[in-house]
Amino acid sequence: MSEVRIAVYVCHCGTNIADKVDVAGVREFARRLPGVEVARDYQYMCADPGQELLRSDIRERGINRVVVASCSPRMHEATFRQVLESAGLNGYLFEMANIREHCSWVTEESELATHKARALVAAAVKRVRFHAPLEERYVEVNQKALVVGGGIAGIEAALKIARAGKKVWLVERGPSIGGKMAGLDKTFPTLDCSACILTPKMVEAAQHPKITLLSYSEVEGVDGYVGNFQVTVRRKARYVREEDCTGCGTCYQKCPKKVPSEFDGGLSHRKAIYVPFPQAVPNVPVIDRSNCIRFQTGRCGACEKFCPRDAVDFEQEDEFLTLEVGAVIVATGYETFQPQEAPQWGWGRYENVLTARQLERLVNASGPTGGKVLLRRDGEFTDEVPKSVAVLHCIGSRDENYYPYCSRLCCMASLKLAHLIREKTGAQVYSFYIDIRSAGKGYEEFYTRVQAEGIQFIRGKGAEVLERDGQLYVHAEDTLLGAYREVPVDMVVLSTAVTPAPGAERVAQIFGIQRGQDGFFLESHPKLEPLKTATEGIYIVGCCQGPKDIPDSVAQGAGGAAEVLSLLTAGRVQISPVVAEIDAEACSGCKVCVPLCPYSAIKYDEERGACGVNEALCKGCGTCVASCPSGALSCRHFTDEQIYAQIEEVSSL
Amino acid sequence: MRAVQSQVPGRGPLPVVGEADLDGKFVVTVMELSGEDGLLGCIQCGTCTGSCQLSSWMDYTPRRIVDMVRKGLAREVLASRAIWYCASCYYCTVRCPRGIKLTEVLYALKSLALARGYAEPGAPAPAFYRTFFEVVGRYGRLYEPGLMIGVALRSGFGRLFRLAPLGLGMLRRGKMALLPERVRAVDEVRALMERVSRGLVRR
Repeated sequence: MSEVRIAVYVCHCGTNIADKVDVAGVREFARRLPGVEVARDYQYMCADPGQELLRSDIRERGINRVVVASCSPRMHEATFRQVLESAGLNGYLFEMANIREHCSWVTEESELATHKARALVAAAVKRVRFHAPLEERYVEVNQKALVVGGGIAGIEAALKIARAGKKVWLVERGPSIGGKMAGLDKTFPTLDCSACILTPKMVEAAQHPKITLLSYSEVEGVDGYVGNFQVTVRRKARYVREEDCTGCGTCYQKCPKKVPSEFDGGLSHRKAIYVPFPQAVPNVPVIDRSNCIRFQTGRCGACEKFCPRDAVDFEQEDEFLTLEVGAVIVATGYETFQPQEAPQWGWGRYENVLTARQLERLVNASGPTGGKVLLRRDGEFTDEVPKSVAVLHCIGSRDENYYPYCSRLCCMASLKLAHLIREKTGAQVYSFYIDIRSAGKGYEEFYTRVQAEGIQFIRGKGAEVLERDGQLYVHAEDTLLGAYREVPVDMVVLSTAVTPAPGAERVAQIFGIQRGQDGFFLESHPKLEPLKTATEGIYIVGCCQGPKDIPDSVAQGAGGAAEVLSLLTAGRVQISPVVAEIDAEACSGCKVCVPLCPYSAIKYDEERGACGVNEALCKGCGTCVASCPSGALSCRHFTDEQIYAQIEEVSSL
Repeated sequence: MRAVQSQVPGRGPLPVVGEADLDGKFVVTVMELSGEDGLLGCIQCGTCTGSCQLSSWMDYTPRRIVDMVRKGLAREVLASRAIWYCASCYYCTVRCPRGIKLTEVLYALKSLALARGYAEPGAPAPAFYRTFFEVVGRYGRLYEPGLMIGVALRSGFGRLFRLAPLGLGMLRRGKMALLPERVRAVDEVRALMERVSRGLVRR
């Protein structure tokens, strides 16, 4: 090894570090450490002048190791590695000491913070001495993409990728694409009909030559890495052959078994063989096995007898496909809070207490009442129109007992429903709200319009809904009056929270996506990388990341497509050289490491009697290194020498 | 609804809050005493009021009490009727979307009102709390006839006569003892109660 000449830079990060840490003191301390040639402190090391300092020192003072004491490596390690490369030094001859997140931000006392900064810098200086140059590697990117979830965000993403000429697989768990948007009536703030703007996109997605739609299918597993994923998809048995069915509907007309319709929120019935809604894409029915008389008792089979195309096939079985794709967009959407968990609002107990999603079906022309808002009695709709309706905001949202976050879209959805109810029935509509959140283009204007229509706004959360003598009452405080109110109404609409989709946990596991405290998928940076995840090549769009309205979901879908296209178009992708390596001489062939590797990157080679690492699959996690009984495994850039040097130094101060 | 008592020189008859009248430390005192440190996070949604069986009898709604505490209207809060009407049903605590234990806060306000001499001498609820404390201090447990007579001495005998049939019924069914019973370790109970009272006074 040639003589080690280290440069140390202590960053002020404006006041972020310099307010707590005595940066000049740390600089002076670093100057005296063995091997250190240059030590400087600077306002912002990541800014151009800071980078230039580093470059000129490397060029003019023969520096061959660099330590920057600043923020987290997650933030700027890549930045500084590039600076080293641009000055002709290998990027791995660099070490970052985190004196912001790990030090100045979390330490109360200035003296202690400075002490810790000194220790971290000393450890980095000791470690960087043992760094070796490593070469980046590149792998080819498969030119196909996978979109998981056929709601509006997923459809938009798939269409954008397909229009760019790339092959897309669109996988949807349910029998039809369309997602939650398919169940809405009008959309705020322009009140255009949801189906009218969605259906053309659904049809285009199904017919586009570059898109293969796999409805009623689920992703079972993912192997591989960015650019080269192998995805296993289960095509659930529909018991109707898609290629033979014409969608004539004879089967579900003849089916004798009625089941509450999920699509209509239980307000109407579907059959055991059904399409969820008339505009479904694909327009191919599916048999709900658990409710089918034929599957449960062996008799019936009416659908099969009457199908003019012999498309019904009770023998059909689940099929498995393996897709090879370069990138994946996850758009698995959301669910809404089920208020039976919260008896105070009376849902499930009083039949005229409905959720907002149920009301969407009532006001929809293709819904159970043909678009009329009607009261129910003994489980059936009457001809009676409500004279007064209460819309309760924040049911399950902004509530630590249920979901602490603001669901973001329900204020506008509630305003829209208040407007539609008023328009259709002329009823007195009360809106019980905590705050009206109408941030969005044209949203405040819509609020103003609804106010002018004579909706009664009561600033106070609906605390409970009770029935006395056949009359529903909403109990609340009118906080602006400072008065307690019991408002009699015929119908109550609960604007329920947006929640993570059922199965989100499994999806996260399959794709290696992290979840936030609220259960939604976690983006890799809240501002600058809203669509990326912790796993490279896997992107998240739409409500699986958090509550969003339609415009935002569509924008994210398109953004996800842009991420995928920039990856695919680049054609190759850089792979980190930080991987495990095996000294075949020392390997005893015990195979302890093989099953431990979470990425299946280690294989046993019979001929050599030793294990080998597939560098394209290895993520450098180090699990195998720790497990190896003969010390044959090591991880580049995290060698024993490097780590011990760092530990020794950080603990000696 | 009662207007907040305050005047600002040169201003009109609306209830104008004089900045000098606001006790900025009041909310801290209440949070320390009640152990509920989330008062500043109240979003004023009124779930507490809407869930309260007795809010319609109060001079200020529970939600408003929280805001008055936060803004430092100490005198108005401690002299209010609202704090004494809480029946400890805990509906507000269970339903509060910010998880605020309002029942505990109201207990703290009652204690402060007593300690600072805000409670009206003849008011029944303060009389009840005071007598309850004394009776338990004497016997180490509750003695109902003593409690009722004590309350009557403080807030008038009318109430006692109205409750007489209930008392007789309880006696007949053996739900109430005629003579007081003392617990064995009454000294320990007394020491405990004294420590609680001292803590309150010190704060």
